[in-house]
Amino acid sequence: MIVRELGEFDGVLSENDDLMSIVTESRSQEISDDSFIPRSYFDLALKRIEWYAKKKNDRNFDHKQYDFLFNPDINKFDVIAFFLLCQAIGVKYGPNSRESRVLVESQGKLIENRLGKLSKIERNVLVTNILNSLLSSAHIKWTFFEDLISSKKLKLHELILDSGEIILDKDDFLERFSHKIQGRKPEKMYEALIGDRIKELVMIKMVMQNTENYIRQVGERSNREIEPNPILLELADKISEVLLASVQTFGQGSGGYGGSVKASALNPKAFPPCVKKVMEGMKSGGRNDAIIMFLTPFISYARLYPAVFSENITKQISDVDPTLSIIQNEILPLIFGAAERCSPPLFEDQPQDKVNLNAKLGFGMHQNPELKNEGETTWYTPMSCEKVKIHLPSLCKPDETCKKIGNPLSYYNRKIWVVKKESKAESAVEEDIKD
Amino acid sequence: MVKIEYLTPASPEERKRYYREEWNIKQVPEYIIQSIQEREFGFDHVGRGPNDRYKVFRTPDLLKRFLKVRTPFAAYCSVAFYDKPRRRDRWTKAELVFDVDAKDIPVRTCECEGVCEICLNEAREIVLGIIDTLKGDLGLQNIHVVYSGRGYHIRVLDNDVMSVNTDVRSQIVKYLVGADVPENEYSLDFEKVSYEHFVIPFGYPNVFTKRVKYAILHLNENSELDEVNKKLLKDVLKHRQLIELDNWGMFKNKIGPQRYRKVIKGIASMNMSLVDAKVSIDLKRILRLPSSLHSMVSMKCTEVKNIETFDPFDDAVPKFVYER
Repeated sequence: MIVRELGEFDGVLSENDDLMSIVTESRSQEISDDSFIPRSYFDLALKRIEWYAKKKNDRNFDHKQYDFLFNPDINKFDVIAFFLLCQAIGVKYGPNSRESRVLVESQGKLIENRLGKLSKIERNVLVTNILNSLLSSAHIKWTFFEDLISSKKLKLHELILDSGEIILDKDDFLERFSHKIQGRKPEKMYEALIGDRIKELVMIKMVMQNTENYIRQVGERSNREIEPNPILLELADKISEVLLASVQTFGQGSGGYGGSVKASALNPKAFPPCVKKVMEGMKSGGRNDAIIMFLTPFISYARLYPAVFSENITKQISDVDPTLSIIQNEILPLIFGAAERCSPPLFEDQPQDKVNLNAKLGFGMHQNPELKNEGETTWYTPMSCEKVKIHLPSLCKPDETCKKIGNPLSYYNRKIWVVKKESKAESAVEEDIKD
Repeated sequence: MVKIEYLTPASPEERKRYYREEWNIKQVPEYIIQSIQEREFGFDHVGRGPNDRYKVFRTPDLLKRFLKVRTPFAAYCSVAFYDKPRRRDRWTKAELVFDVDAKDIPVRTCECEGVCEICLNEAREIVLGIIDTLKGDLGLQNIHVVYSGRGYHIRVLDNDVMSVNTDVRSQIVKYLVGADVPENEYSLDFEKVSYEHFVIPFGYPNVFTKRVKYAILHLNENSELDEVNKKLLKDVLKHRQLIELDNWGMFKNKIGPQRYRKVIKGIASMNMSLVDAKVSIDLKRILRLPSSLHSMVSMKCTEVKNIETFDPFDDAVPKFVYER
């Protein structure tokens, strides 16, 4: 309904006095610079994304520049800005893009922060109302949240399950479990384990999932339509610029949006524990998976295309190593070395696995990598930590850095900076001594 | 004590005898017979792995004839259902499967090389725990157990879970085996409260407690847990009778809270190996056909009617073994 009130689509670019008044009158809003004030729906949509990107990546993030996002009066404008973002991203980038992921995450964070501004009672009423509108029954089967679980927005072990149902309601909880609880107050246990926390979690994650679904629908519909609105395409370009700017200004941040990680010679000191373990050689049993499925993609991407996940562009090896000299002189020797250290050595009793290794690099089912065969198979991307735990559980011996990443390649990209810094510091100390 | 490794592989003659005299199509479970046209079958004729794949049988009689004539070394059937099983095309759904192989259990009290009565029984205990959680927590009902020859397959056919993808299956596995250490600090309005997993008698913390208890009671001095040194392991073994009596608080005090955290972290990581997770997340896996012969160990792959009382050495040994 709010969207319908907007009328003509071109209106999203016009200066809007009502919007500007709300922004400038927001209680703690910083207005010392014109650039802090969105003047149109278009601007507001970009500010929404900018808020999240800067909050995540900028150490000097100033929340006062974005206080208007938490002014309840912004609601009407905010809804339109949200739909503009979904449509722009859906049309231009689709649901599996970095832009889509950022929008979905920002929507979750925005709700979380807005809830934080409410009183406990207001918050509870609001969350209950939204949940009631999203859930059709008081008894919800966990399989209802299949999408959320699949996308890891919700983790099964974070929910309290009983007989296939997710327990959210207090009375339901007390009826099912109070007779089992000993020495503790069941009411307090409910508040701690479920209470508003889990309800909010479920509500926020459902909104995030619905946002993603909506972007998907827009993407599918736009494939069938002839020409997307140019304003949406312009907004989509600007969104990318905002994300890129936040990365260029603030380095890698914690989200890893950047494509700033450059390919360079491998530094084994920065390898994660799982890779170090495989490099030492494996016993029979997990040898093939460890060398072929796990190590080969890791080493090749770490050396040639470490920014694969942030850039999110599919490449072939020859795009980054046109003569295959790095593959021949640096990558294969490392992998063969690890295979040789296996007991028994992998290629000794299973020489056919060389073909499989070659296939994982994208050079088809052949003995050696040759440009003429490239593209017959896909260059496999490195396994995520989640996949390592499933396929090669014995490899996963996490250290402190592992807590911050979801893929061994991200570990390497992070650690390489630390290792470089440390070695600079060391050489500085050595020079001191020489002096 | 009977050791399966001492049971020699079945000879081609014994296979023939088994399929022609002892095997009966009625031993193939109903849940496979009912969907026979939607499944892919695979066979290993010489003992080098199932390379005769993409087989389809329109009726149970055709499967019967095939087995009686070809008397394969091993027979398999897909957990997946397809519209076009001959090309493994148009996947519609797949059973949710858990493979508990006795020889791969991470903590075994036996020292055997292959499998023996002790570790097979431990595999059975793990299966019981998983079934309990599948029913109690996840509310699943259509659960079947098959003795595979060296362990057990749990096969779940509830419609709710047969369509779920690899990522959901992976989370189900982690929940069932207790692969994540639960939170132990929770925020209330103005305070933080601490509830260790063992004081929460429901939900995932309760599942985790059961898995930790199983692990601690089956550890021995040679067990290896991530970041648990010999001294800590020794202390765990010294005080584990407290766990047997469910005196978790006292056990934690004896060990020390930080060292306790290390122990449960190590167990959570080890628990991922309680089942072969690759099997559970594979949507197109073929599994040994219940009723077929495991020719490597001369045991029958058998549907288990009652897991509480099942004994493979009574219920899964083919007649020809007794007549050797």
